[in-house]
Parts: sequence; structure tokens; C-alpha cells
Amino acid sequence: MTLLELKDVCFSYHSKDAETTAVDNVSFTVDEGEFVGIIGPSGCGKTTILNLLAGIYSPASGTILLNGKKVSESTSKIGLMPQRDQLFPWRTIESNVLLGPEVLGKRNRETKKYALLLLRKYGLGDFIKKYPSELSGGMRQRSALIRTLVLKPDILLLDEPFSALDFQTRIVVCDDVHSIIKQEKKTAVIVSHDINECVSLCDKIIVLTKRPAHVLEIIRIDLNKTMSPLKRRESQAFPEYFKKIWKLLEDKNERSTTKISEKT
Amino acid sequence: MSEAQRKYLKKRKIRIVITHLFRICLLAAFIGGWELIARYNVVDPFIISSPSRIVRIIGTLDRSGELNKHVIASLYETIAGFLIATAAGSVFAIILWWSDLLRDVLEPYIITLNSLPKIALGPIIIVWMGIGKPAIIFMAVLICIIITIISMLSGFCSVDKEKIMLLKSMHANKFKILTKLILPANIPTLISVLKINVGLSWVGSIIGEYLSSREGLGYLIVYGSQIFQLDLVMASTVILCVLAGGMYAAVAILEKIVRKKFGQ
Repeated sequence: MTLLELKDVCFSYHSKDAETTAVDNVSFTVDEGEFVGIIGPSGCGKTTILNLLAGIYSPASGTILLNGKKVSESTSKIGLMPQRDQLFPWRTIESNVLLGPEVLGKRNRETKKYALLLLRKYGLGDFIKKYPSELSGGMRQRSALIRTLVLKPDILLLDEPFSALDFQTRIVVCDDVHSIIKQEKKTAVIVSHDINECVSLCDKIIVLTKRPAHVLEIIRIDLNKTMSPLKRRESQAFPEYFKKIWKLLEDKNERSTTKISEKT
Repeated sequence: MSEAQRKYLKKRKIRIVITHLFRICLLAAFIGGWELIARYNVVDPFIISSPSRIVRIIGTLDRSGELNKHVIASLYETIAGFLIATAAGSVFAIILWWSDLLRDVLEPYIITLNSLPKIALGPIIIVWMGIGKPAIIFMAVLICIIITIISMLSGFCSVDKEKIMLLKSMHANKFKILTKLILPANIPTLISVLKINVGLSWVGSIIGEYLSSREGLGYLIVYGSQIFQLDLVMASTVILCVLAGGMYAAVAILEKIVRKKFGQ
């Protein structure tokens, strides 16, 4: 079943000097339970698309439908996981995780019970009363994920959630986040510029061009869905997907560089 | 504990003791030198007074009940000015954070007021408010409030945009963003503003007393210099040092408590 649908979405930033088109006629769909990756060169407008999906920006034209309704009018909930964990340093982990219910005026015994359940389930039971500064990078990222899960979102939006971590932690946390999202049976959209990460996590990858972003190609990843991202990295088809996406991004970049050299 | 750690701790301890020792020595040398210069008439004690004369005159003031009266008057004006300026300045900063139109409109005026020497307004204040405590408190408020507004506002505006996005994705309204994020994130800004305002509110109240008053330490200083009684001027200055230092220490203690509570 289609959960999220983008149809000819355009978005521009306006400033004194210029109008910058960041997103140009982007269309794709996300099915329920799917893990979708959005990949493209940095600065291509990936984060803009996430902010559009989260309803923070509204598209200049085109529609974004979540469960058949416009995002701004939809009652379906969206959980955004930002680039860095963005835990509030003055709040304990428990209190950080309960930020969403608190903002919505729904902090009660029930939401607290659910938050504690998730924290214990994912190995943060002993850190409930600790402050973020006392936790490792991986644990903080897990707390940030639980903070979005507490709201029981229909769809999770992950904005390069591992980019602030060092290489090793990154792979472990990636496995971690993947398994939590699968266990909670959530639909997720991840924005990344790391091809390996996208291929290892996603069922479908949307490859974007340079700014203004439009869809270059949508690639279905047919790797075993029950495997962890780390295991998927070892599977035979993995390098093929990597090469394919690499080529797509490279071709596009080359073409634009030749354009520049023609001009000069 | 390893030998190296023990050595380090010992070295550290010695360093602290030496620092304190030098501080005390410096003060003792200053007071002692001053006393000797005055006693042996190297410089006329009529001009520079002397520590023993200062102690004597403070004793006299204390016995007559004058000391209490002047100290309380100055403390009252300073603390009132300090509290009013910090509170009103913070409220102003919140209003300006809330409305970027108002912020743009008022910006040049705030900058002008900030560079204006507030003392220049003294005579106007006296004409408008008469001689007495309200005018002095107003002077103290005027000196502190502009820098309070500017510091708090820049603190409010430098909160991480990604944190604001996170709250927006949770459907937080502006009021929630203010109370859940902007204000708690700026507790350290408030503390540093308090530290600045301790000094500035004393400037305000003493200058206010110079201009128009019948009591207070500023009054004593002006009165003492007019009747060429330098003992009185020096004694008042010493008391002022103690009070200002005490007030700063109180803010420092508050800072420790707050830091503990906010886990930063």
C-alpha cells in the first residue's frame, strides 16, 4: 500500500540576490514498511526534500500526500531524526525521549510507560536518568531514534543520521537503527550521500541529480531483507548496486563539468 | 591511584596553595606599604589616607549608625536596578525574538542606545523623576538593560536551527519552541548577563548617587571629596569593593547551582 506519494514537487529558496530552485519536479512513492533511500551529491537538496516531507516547508507546486492526504492536513505522524542527535543537554535521556509527547501535551503515564519500555528494550534502561553528555555517540543516536519512535510515527525521516559518527561506530549504529526500525515495523526514508550505507539499508533508492534536484533514477535493491546491513554489505550483488549508483552520480557530475569547461 | 596521578595531584595542590599565598601577600604588601608611606609621611596622608584611618572612620560610621544607612541605600538601589534591568531586558529580548519585524524595526535604535553613554541622560532623569531613589534605580536600569537585551537576543537567535526543525516536526508552536528550547538553552547566557550586570548596576547606582542623593556610598564619596576628607572617600570605596565582590560571588554560587541542575 502506498503510504507517501510525491507528485511533481517543486521548491525554491528566495533571497535578495536570486531565486534558487532546490527541488525540481520530484515524484516518487514510498510503500508501507519500505526503507527508502534518497541519495545525491551533497548540497543537491536532499535535506530540503526531507523538510518538505516533514511539513516544515510547503512545496511551491506539486503535491505531497501522506495516507492520501496533504502532509499539512494529514493526521498521520512524522518522526524526524536530525543529522546530529540534537538531544537537549539540560534534559535527562528519559526527559529527552519524552520531548515529543510533552510538546503535543500528551505527556502522561501511558506515553511515559511506552518510552521506558522502548528505552529498556533497546538497552538504555540503565541510562534513563543520565544526561546526554554521559552517553557514547551510538547510545545518543539510539536515544534520538527512540525519541521519534515514542510518537508512534507512521513514517520516519532520517537526515544523514550517521554522518556525525566515526567510521566504526557508524556501521554498528547503522545496524542498530535498522534492526530497531524493522522490529517496530516502521516505514523509513533516509537521506544520505553514502552509497554503501544506502544500498545496505534500503529496499529502494532514489538517485537525485545535482541542484536543482530531480529524480535521475529509482533503483530497487533486491537483497535479502531479513539480513542486517552489515551482512548485506557482504552479499554478492552488493558491489553491483554500488557500481551502478556510482556510475549514475559520476556521469551526471562529468556532464556538468564539461558544461563548465565549454563555457570557459 | 598510580604514582604519576598522585604526583600530579600533589603538584596541583601546591599550585593552588601558592596562588592563594601570593594573593594574600599581594594584598598584605599593598595595605602594609600604604600604611607605611602614610605613617612616615612619604606622601601626605591627608591626600592618600591610610588603612588604619580607614578602619577608624568605618568604626565611627558604624557606631553612629550611618554606615548601615548608606550601605542599605546603595544595596537597595543596586539590587533593584539589577533585578529590574535583567527581568525587563529578558522580556524585551523575548518579544524581539518573537517578532522579526519588530526586531528589524528597532535594530538601529537599540544600537544607538547601546553606544550612547547613558550618564548623559542623568540630568534629564533628575528633571523628570526628581531627586531620590527612583531616579537612581532608573539610572542603573538604563545602564544595564540595553546590553541585557542585546546579549539575550543574540543568545536566543544562535540556538541550533536543527533543534528548532526537530521541534517543528513535532508540531510545536512558537510558544513551545520558546519554553522548551530557547529559554532553557539560554540559561548560560542569562548567567553571563547577570555577571555583567553586577558590575554595571553598581556603575548605575553610584553615578546616580553622584548626581543626586542624600544617602548611599556614592553620596559619601562625593561628600567626602567636597570636604577634603579623603579618609571617608577611601573608606566608602573599600566598602564598595567588598559589596560588589560579594554580589559577584552570589551570582557565581547561583551559577554553580544552575549548572548542577541543568547538567551542563
